[in-house]
Amino acid sequence: MKNHISRTTAKALIATIFTLFAFTSNIFAQENAKNGEKLFKLNCATCHKSHTDQKLTGPGLKGVFDRVQSGSMSKDEWMKKWILNNEKMIKAGDAYANKIFNDNGKATMSVFEGQLTDADVADIMAFIKGPAPIEGPVTGTTTGPTATGDPVDGGTKVEPLYLILGTIVILAILLGAFRSVRNSMQNAANRAEGKAENPDLTFWQETKEWMSGHRRLVGVFAIVIGFIGMKSCWDACYDIGVYYDWETQKGYKPEQPIKFSHKLHAGDNEIACQYCHSSVEKSRHAGIPSVNICMNCHKGIQSGPQYAEKEINKIYNAAGFDPKTQTYDKKKENPLTWIKVHNLPDHVYFNHSQHVVVGKIECTTCHGDVKSMTVAEQKAPLTMKWCIECHRKTEVAMEGNAYYDRLHKALKEKYAGQYDVKFTVEKIGGLECAKCHY
Amino acid sequence: MNKHYKTIKFVFASALVGLVMAGFTSCGKKDENSPGVEFMPDMYRSNSLEYYGTHVVDGVTEQTAKEPVKGTVARGFLPYAYPNTKDGYDAATANLKNPLTAQSREVYEKEGEVLYGKFCVHCHGASGAGDGKVGAKLPGPPPAYGSIQNLTEGKIFHSITYGKGMMGQHASQLTQEERWKLVYYVQKLQGPKAAAADTAKAAVTPTVAAAANH
Ligand code: HEC
Repeated sequence: MKNHISRTTAKALIATIFTLFAFTSNIFAQENAKNGEKLFKLNCATCHKSHTDQKLTGPGLKGVFDRVQSGSMSKDEWMKKWILNNEKMIKAGDAYANKIFNDNGKATMSVFEGQLTDADVADIMAFIKGPAPIEGPVTGTTTGPTATGDPVDGGTKVEPLYLILGTIVILAILLGAFRSVRNSMQNAANRAEGKAENPDLTFWQETKEWMSGHRRLVGVFAIVIGFIGMKSCWDACYDIGVYYDWETQKGYKPEQPIKFSHKLHAGDNEIACQYCHSSVEKSRHAGIPSVNICMNCHKGIQSGPQYAEKEINKIYNAAGFDPKTQTYDKKKENPLTWIKVHNLPDHVYFNHSQHVVVGKIECTTCHGDVKSMTVAEQKAPLTMKWCIECHRKTEVAMEGNAYYDRLHKALKEKYAGQYDVKFTVEKIGGLECAKCHY
Repeated sequence: MNKHYKTIKFVFASALVGLVMAGFTSCGKKDENSPGVEFMPDMYRSNSLEYYGTHVVDGVTEQTAKEPVKGTVARGFLPYAYPNTKDGYDAATANLKNPLTAQSREVYEKEGEVLYGKFCVHCHGASGAGDGKVGAKLPGPPPAYGSIQNLTEGKIFHSITYGKGMMGQHASQLTQEERWKLVYYVQKLQGPKAAAADTAKAAVTPTVAAAANH
C-alpha cells in the first residue's frame, strides 16, 4: 500500500516535473525563436525568405530542414556549419554544400563566423523551424491607395465629326425628298390647270437659276463664308505640330506599352524624378530609363497594387528575366518601345541640364504635377511662343553661381543707376534665334 | 409658292456649307492618343534609329540599345577594374580606396547627401535605417547602415556599382565620382565609428589609393 502510494506519487512527481520542464523549455524555445527572428531580419532577410519558397538572392527556406542532406552529421550541425562559414564547407568538398553553390549560380553566401555566435545560429534555426511570423502592415502589395482610377475611360462620347457628317447626310436626303415632292406636286397642279409641265431641272441647274436671281445676296454670303473659312484655316495652322489643345489645356497623353503610373512611383513611393531620368542633370535629354533601372527595384517587387503581376511581368519580358530563378537570359530580351510624350522637332535645340542645373528650373514648371498623373501627359504647349514668354519673364538664377557672382557684381558697379537690374533670360541673349536654332 | 420653296432650299444649302466648314475645323481637335498634324514629320520622328526600341538588320529584329563594344569605353564613363564576382567584391573591399581627397570630407558629404536624396533614399531611408518607402516593399529590406559596420569604402563603392542582393546596380546612373561622394555620405550615416576606421586605415596604406583611379 505504502509502496503503491509512493509509486503513484513518484509517477505524478515525474509527470509534473516533466510537464513543467516541457512548459519552460517551450517558453525558452519561443524566446529563442523570437531572438532568432530578430537576428534573421538583421542578417539573412535581405537574401532569404524564412517561411516561403520564394527565391530572392538566395533560396526560400521553407522546409530546408527536410531537404538538407547532411551526410554523417546531424542536420542541425550541418546547418550551423553552413550558416557560419559556407565557403569553408564548399572548399572542403561537402557534397550538398557544393550542390547548393552550383544550383544558385555559384553565388556564395556571406560568412557569419565571428559575427554570429553558436547560440545565435541556434536561435535562428529555431525561428526557421518555428511558425511563420505574423507579417506587419508592410507586405508590399496591400499598402498604398488602390483607387488610382482607370486612366482610359472616355465614356460613350460620340466623335463630333461623325455627328456633323451624319447630319449632312440626313439633310441631303431630306433636301432631295422635298425637291421631288415639290416637283411632282407642282407638275400635278400644272397638269390640272392644263399648263405645260415644269422642265425637269437638276438641283445644280435650279441652284444656278436661283443664284443668278440673287446676285447680291450670294456675293455677301460668299464673302462671309470665305472669311470664316480663311480664319479657321489660319487657326488650324496654329495646331500643326502642337500636341496640346489650347482650349481644354489638355496635351498629348498616349497609351504606353506598360501602364506605368508616375503617381504610384514618384507620388506614393516618393522616388525622385532623377532616379529614373538620371541623365537630366548631365545631358540635354532627361532620358527614358532603360529596363535595367526598372529592374533595380522590380527584381524584388514583383506585384503592384493595381494590376498585380500583369504589368510588371512586361518588364521581365523586356529584360529577359525569370523572377522564379532570379536570372537573366540575354536571348529573351524584348525591348520596350516607350512613346515619347514631349517631342520637340529636330530643328530646335533644347538642353535639360542647362535648365535644371544652371537655371534651377523645377521639373514641375514645364511638366506639371507629374506626381499626380497616372498616365504621363504633356502639360505645356512647347511652342516657341511659350519658350519666349518664359525667357522674357524669368530672371536668371545667379545665386550660388560663381560665374555670375563676379560678372553680375562687376556689371552692377559699372552700370549703377543706368539700367534696371532685373536680369531676365532675355537680357543674356535668351531670345537670339541661334540660341535654339542652328 | 415657288419663292417659298426657294427660301427653304436656300436655308438648307447654307446649312450644308456651314456644316462642312465646321467639319473641317473640328478635324484638328485632339485625340489624346494622337500627336495631331505634323508639318515635316521627319523633323519630329527622325529616320535615324531611336535607341528605345528595335530595328531590323538582315531580317533579324534587334534591340537598338547596345552594350558598348568589347574593349571600348562609353563616353563619360570610366572602366572599373574589379569584376562583378565574389572575388571582385573581396578585392574591392580590401584594396579600393576613395580617390576624392582634394577637398574636405564635409564638402563631399554635402554633395553626397544631395545625390543620396535622389538615388538611395527611397530604399535606404533618410537616416540610412533601411526604412525607405520602396525599401519596405522589397521582399528583403535593406539593412540599416548603422548595423553593418564592417563595410570598407571599397566595399560600399563596389556595392553601389554592381548592386548586391536585392539592390540593383547604379553604375549607369552615377559616375564614379558621384559614387565616391555617396561613399562619404554612407559612412556619415553609418556613424562616427566607421568613418574613423577608414580614415585610420587610409592613413596606413596611402599607396593603394592609386589603384582606385582606373
Ligand atoms: C532598390 C532599393 C535600393 C536602392 C535604390 C539602393 N539600395 Fe542599397 N541596398 C538595398 C538592399 C536591399 C541592400 C541589402 C543587399 C544585401 O546585402 O543583400 C542594400 C545594401 C547596400 C549597402 C551594403 C552593401 C554591402 O556590401 O553589404 C550599401 C553600402 C548600399 N546599399 C548603399 C546604397 C547607396 C549609396 C544607394 C544609392 C545610390 C543605394 N544603396 C540604393 C536596396 C537599395
